[in-house]
Amino acid sequence: MEKASSQKTSSPVGESKPRIDAREKVTGAALYADDIQFGNKLLHARIKRSPHPHALLKKVDLTKARRLPGVKAVVSGEDFSGFIGLYLKDRHIFCRDRVRFVGDPVAGVAAVTEEIAEKAIGLIEVEYEVLEPVFDPEFGASTQAPLLHPDLGQYVVASFILPKPGSNISNHFKIRKGDVTSAWKKCKAVIERKYRIPHIQHVPIEPHVAIAKVDESGEATLWDSSQSPFAQRDLIAETLGITQSKMRVIAPLVGGGFGGKAGVSMESLAVAIATRVKGYPVKLLLTREEEFYTAFVRQGLVAYFKMGCDKEGQLLAMENTFYWDGGAYTEYGVNITRAAGYSCTGPYEVPNVKADSYCVYTNHPVGGPMRGFGMPEMHAGLEQCLDELAHMIGMDAVEFRRRNCLKGDSILPTGGRMHPTGLSECLGKAAEAIDWGRKAPPSAPNKRRGKGLALMWKAPAMPGNASSSAWIEIAEDGVLTLGVGCQDIGQGAFTVAAQMAAAAFGVPYESVRLATPVDTRYSPYEWQTVASRITWSTGNAIINAARDARFQVLELVAKAWNETPEDLDIVNGMVVSFKSEREIPVRNLAVTGLPKADGKGWMGGPIIGHGNFMPAYVTSLDPDTGQGEHAVVHFTTGAQAIELEVDLDTGRIDILKGVAAFDVGKAINPDLVKAQMEGGLIQGISSALFECLQLKDGIVQNPNFVDYRIATSADLPRSIQSIIVEVPQDDGPWGARGIGEHSMVPTIPAIANAIYDAVGIRFEGPPFTAEKVYLAMLEAGIVKG
Amino acid sequence: MAFHEINLTVNRGLEQVRVPSNMTLMRMLRESLALTGTKNGCSAGECGACTVLLNGEPVNSCMVLAVECDGADVVTVEGLAGDLQLNPIQEAMIHAGGVQCGFCTPGVLITSRALLDRNPDPSEEEISAALVGNLCRCTGYIRIIESIKEAARMEMVRS
Amino acid sequence: MQMNAHPTLPEFDYVRPETLAEASKFLALHPDEARPFLGGTDIFVRMRNGSLALKFLVDLKKLDGTNDLRFDPHVGLTLGAAVNMNRVINSPDVSRHYPLLAEACRSVASYQLRTRATIVGNICNASPAGDTIGACMVFDGMLHVHGTGGQRQEPLASFFLGPGKTTLKPGDIVTAVTFPLPSGDCAGTYLKLGRNKLSDLSIVGVTVLASPYSSLPSGFRFRIVLASVAPVPLVAADAEAALAERAITSESLHQAASLAGDASAPIDDVRSTARYRKLMVRNLTEIALNIVWKKMQK
Repeated sequence: MEKASSQKTSSPVGESKPRIDAREKVTGAALYADDIQFGNKLLHARIKRSPHPHALLKKVDLTKARRLPGVKAVVSGEDFSGFIGLYLKDRHIFCRDRVRFVGDPVAGVAAVTEEIAEKAIGLIEVEYEVLEPVFDPEFGASTQAPLLHPDLGQYVVASFILPKPGSNISNHFKIRKGDVTSAWKKCKAVIERKYRIPHIQHVPIEPHVAIAKVDESGEATLWDSSQSPFAQRDLIAETLGITQSKMRVIAPLVGGGFGGKAGVSMESLAVAIATRVKGYPVKLLLTREEEFYTAFVRQGLVAYFKMGCDKEGQLLAMENTFYWDGGAYTEYGVNITRAAGYSCTGPYEVPNVKADSYCVYTNHPVGGPMRGFGMPEMHAGLEQCLDELAHMIGMDAVEFRRRNCLKGDSILPTGGRMHPTGLSECLGKAAEAIDWGRKAPPSAPNKRRGKGLALMWKAPAMPGNASSSAWIEIAEDGVLTLGVGCQDIGQGAFTVAAQMAAAAFGVPYESVRLATPVDTRYSPYEWQTVASRITWSTGNAIINAARDARFQVLELVAKAWNETPEDLDIVNGMVVSFKSEREIPVRNLAVTGLPKADGKGWMGGPIIGHGNFMPAYVTSLDPDTGQGEHAVVHFTTGAQAIELEVDLDTGRIDILKGVAAFDVGKAINPDLVKAQMEGGLIQGISSALFECLQLKDGIVQNPNFVDYRIATSADLPRSIQSIIVEVPQDDGPWGARGIGEHSMVPTIPAIANAIYDAVGIRFEGPPFTAEKVYLAMLEAGIVKG
Repeated sequence: MAFHEINLTVNRGLEQVRVPSNMTLMRMLRESLALTGTKNGCSAGECGACTVLLNGEPVNSCMVLAVECDGADVVTVEGLAGDLQLNPIQEAMIHAGGVQCGFCTPGVLITSRALLDRNPDPSEEEISAALVGNLCRCTGYIRIIESIKEAARMEMVRS
Repeated sequence: MQMNAHPTLPEFDYVRPETLAEASKFLALHPDEARPFLGGTDIFVRMRNGSLALKFLVDLKKLDGTNDLRFDPHVGLTLGAAVNMNRVINSPDVSRHYPLLAEACRSVASYQLRTRATIVGNICNASPAGDTIGACMVFDGMLHVHGTGGQRQEPLASFFLGPGKTTLKPGDIVTAVTFPLPSGDCAGTYLKLGRNKLSDLSIVGVTVLASPYSSLPSGFRFRIVLASVAPVPLVAADAEAALAERAITSESLHQAASLAGDASAPIDDVRSTARYRKLMVRNLTEIALNIVWKKMQK
C-alpha cells in the first residue's frame, strides 16, 4: 500500500477551512436528538432507580403503575434477561436480582406525557434487601470485601481482558519487564508516592437523550446523541435478541460527548421500553441531575508509584500499582485499566517495569470512557512523581524529561519500539514558550508565582481490529457526497473528513458534502468515534474510497482518450491530461459515463468509490508479562506548561499562562487542532481546580451545576499558546494522528508541579481548590492561622 | 391545573398560544412553537443553553413561565438573522471558530447580541463577565470571546 | 432528594392578582399552598428538585409600585420589589449614591439571572448567602410590607430569623425596599469568595461600608455584614465597635478583621468547611477594610 504520508495532492489538507457545520449551528437549524419532531405518537419514558448503593432486588410491583391512565408500558428486569457490555458483559438493561449503585435502573415507564410517566414511577413499589457496600477500590480488591458480581466468572469477556472470578477485580493487567528488585539497588534515588484521583463527569452541555421505536415487524430504530451508532446497534441488538441488521441507529449532531456518549449507557433503556409499545417512538431524556450520576462518569483512581533513577537521572525502574474505582459495572472501564497498564511508565524509556492495574467493582456510579481514557488520571500522579524524583537528584525537571523521554526506536514498557515522535520537540517548545528557568517576581506581595510542566502520551485504546469505512458518490453537479460512520461531536470530524476527501479525490473542499446524519442503514461502518482515532482511521478509509473513485474516473477517461491513467490527474474537479493537455470536468461523466469513440455505445457508469481501513499489525500482549510486539497502533505525545500564581489570602490559583505543544503528525486543519488544544487545556484546568463528584455513601452530593463547578468564561488563563508539532505517522493520512483527548491529559500535573514551584506543597490529588491550597499552606506555616 | 391564553411576539411574528401554568418559556418555544434552536441543558438556570431575549434582555427561558410572557417580545436564535443575511455575531462566530459541538451556541449568540447592543466596544473582561452564564465544555471560551470581539469590530466598521 | 429532580416544573396554578389587597388576601387564604414570586429563580429550582410543593404561585410583578426605581435627593432611594438587578446596576442614581449596592448586584450569578433576580426577592429568600443583603443592611434598608392588617415598615436589621425564615406572615407582600440618603462621603466594598471566579454562590461574603462620624472616637463609623457564615446575614458588631473606639490604623483594621472572624459561626457543607470559612472571613474582612479605608482617604 502506498504510504499515506506521500499523497501527491494536498490542498485543502493543512488549511484552516471553516467548519462544514458551522452555519446550521449558528442559525439554530442544527438538529440534535431532542429537536427531532415525532408528532402525537411520541411517548415519554422515565426510569425507576435504586436509592441504595448495594442491595438485593426482592420484589418489583408494577401493578399500580400500569393502571395509571396514560401509561402505555411498564417494564422491569424480569422482561429482559440479556447481558450487555462492550468488553465484558456484566450488566443487564434493567436490574434483575441486584442493584449495584444509587441510580441503577430497576424499572421503566412509557406514558403520553413526562408528568404521567413521573407519577407512574412513583407508583412502582420495590423491595430491597440492603447489602454491605464497597466504596473504596483497594478495599474492593481485597479478600475482605463483599462480592458485587459473584458470577464474574461466567460473564462473556473479550480475550484481552483478564478478570479474576471470585473477586471484585474485573480486569488485572500486568507488566513484568526486566527485574525491578535488582534495579532499585542500582538507583541513586527512589521515590514512592500515593495519589487519589476523584471521580469527575463529562458534563456535556447536551444531556444524554434517546428515542426508540420498534415497529410491528420487530425492526427497531434508535435516534440518539451518540458517538457510537454502530456499537450501539451491535450491543443493543444482541442483548434484546434482535438481529443487527434489524436494529437501526440514527445519530444526529452531538452536543458534546467527551466519551460519555460512547458505548451503551442509557440508550438500551429506551429501546427495551419501546419493544413493549410497538409502533410508538419512546423518548428518554436525562435530567441534568441524572446526567451527573447515572450516565458514565470518569473512574476514580488510587495510584501507587515507585520510581528510581541513577545519578545521571536515567530512569531505571518503575513499580506502579493502580486500583481503579470502576463502579457498579465495568464493561467499558476494564479497557481503561488495560490502557493505563500498558502506558503506565508515561512517555519514558524505563528498562525495568512492574505494573499491576486493577479494575475494581465498587458501588459507585458507572465508570466509563472519558476524554483521555485513564491517561489524565494516571499522569496526574506520574508526572508529579517524576518532578519529585528529578528534584531528589538535584536535576532540573525539564532536563530530567529530556534525558528520559521517548524518541523513535525507544523501547516501550510492553517491549515493542516507539515510532518517530516529536515528544522532545514538544518538550523543548513548551519549555521555551513558558520561559522555563526564569522566575518572574509575583505580581503582588500576597501572591506566589510558579511554573510547572508535564509530558503525556496516549494511544487509541481499542481492539486490534477496530475499523473504519467510507463511500463516495458524485452527483451531476460534480459535488462529492461522502459517506462516513464517524460522528462530529464538536471536534470537527466532518470538516476534516471533507477536506481529506477533497484532497484525495481532487476537488475543492466546497465540493464535498457529507451524508449525515449517520444512519446505520446507509452509512458505512465505523467502530466508534472515540480514542482520538477518527482523523487517522476514518481518514485512511476516506483516502481509500477517494482513490477507488479516482481510479474509476481516470480509467474511464484514459479509455476514452486512448491514454494511460498515470498521465491523468483530477485537479479542482477537472480531469486533466499531462500528456495531451486535454481536460474534461468530472461532472460530465460521474453519472452518465462517456460515449465510445466510435459512437457505438457507452462506457463507464455512476462513479461510486468505497474504502475501508483496519490496522493489521496490532498484536496481543502476554497475559503474565504484558509484553508484545505491537501493543497499539501509535502514540500521540505532547507537553503542557503552566505559569500560575497562588493567592496567599485565599489559596486561589490564578493561571497566568498555559502552553501546549502536541505532535499531531499532520494538522489536517490547523485551527481545529488548536481549538482542541485550547478546549482541552480549559477542561484540564477545570478538572485540576474545580471538579469533583462528591461521593458520600455512594450518593453524589453535587449532581448539579450549582455545586459541581466547571470553568466559566471568567476562569481562563491570561494567555494561552498552542503549538503544533508535526512528525508524521507513517500510516496516518498525510501523516496525521489524533489530538482530541490528549490536550486534557497533562494539565493536572502541570498545575500541581507549578503549585509546588510556587509554595512548595503537593496534594494527594485534585481538585486543587482554593480551600485545599489555603489549608495546606496553613499547615505548612506559609500563612498564619 | 390552570391554562392561559397568551399573546406574544416571537422573532417579530405574532403568536397566540394556550399554555398550562407550569410550562416554562423554554418548553413553550421548543414544544408549542417547534423553535428548537433554544436548548435544554439543565432546566435550572445555570448553563445558559436556553438563553433568549425577553423584552430585549437575556434570560434563562427555563426560569421564566410561558404565562408571564403574555404581551412580551421574545427573540430566539432563529430570529437573529435578517431575511437576506446572518447577524454579524453569527458571521463572526463562524469565521473566528467559536463553534464546536454547537449546543451552547444559540444561548451564547443571544447573550453576545445583547452585550453588543448595550456595549458596542466591550473589553475582554466585560465580555468574560457577560458570558459567565453560558457554559461551554468544548471551546474553552477562547474563540467565543474572539468571535465577539470580531463582531464588535465588524459592526463598528459598518456603522 | 435532589437526585430525583423532576424533568419539568410540577403542576401548580399561576395567579396574577390585579391589586395588592387581592394578592394579600389570596396569600393569607392559602398559607401553606401559595407563595408570591418575582424573578422565580429560587422558587422554580426548589419546585423542580422536589424540596417545595405548591398549589399556587402568585405573580407580584405587575402590582402597583413594584416596578419603580426612584431616587429622591431629599429622601433617598426606592426600589420596587420587581426591579431586577440589572436595572439596579445600570441606574445612574444607584451608581452615584449607592455604588456598593450596584457592586453587590454585579457579583450575583449571571447576566441572565440578574434580568430576573430582584433585591427584594434576595431579601425575602433570606438565604445567609444572599449577596445583596449586606449592602441593603449597611444602607439601613427598610422593607415596605403590605399585609392583611395594612401597610407597615420592617427594618432589615431585625428581619431575618434563620435560613429562609423572616418576620413575614402569610398574606404579607414586600412592595419595595427604601434606603435613606447615605452620608455624603461614605465608601464601601463587597468581597465575595466563590469556588470559581464568577457566577458562584458565596462561600464567604464580606460587605463593608464606612462613613465619617465625628461623634465617634475614631471619627469613622464602619458597618460590616458577613454572608454565608451564620444562619442569618451577620453583623460583625464587635468588629464595628472596635473600629469606632480608636484611631484607624492598619493594626486596628487587622484586629477588627480578627474579631469578625471570631464572630462568624459557619458550618461544613457541600461547598466548603467551617474552618476555611472562618479563616476567610478574617482575611477578606481585612482586605475589604483596607480597600474601604483607602477609598475614605481620597
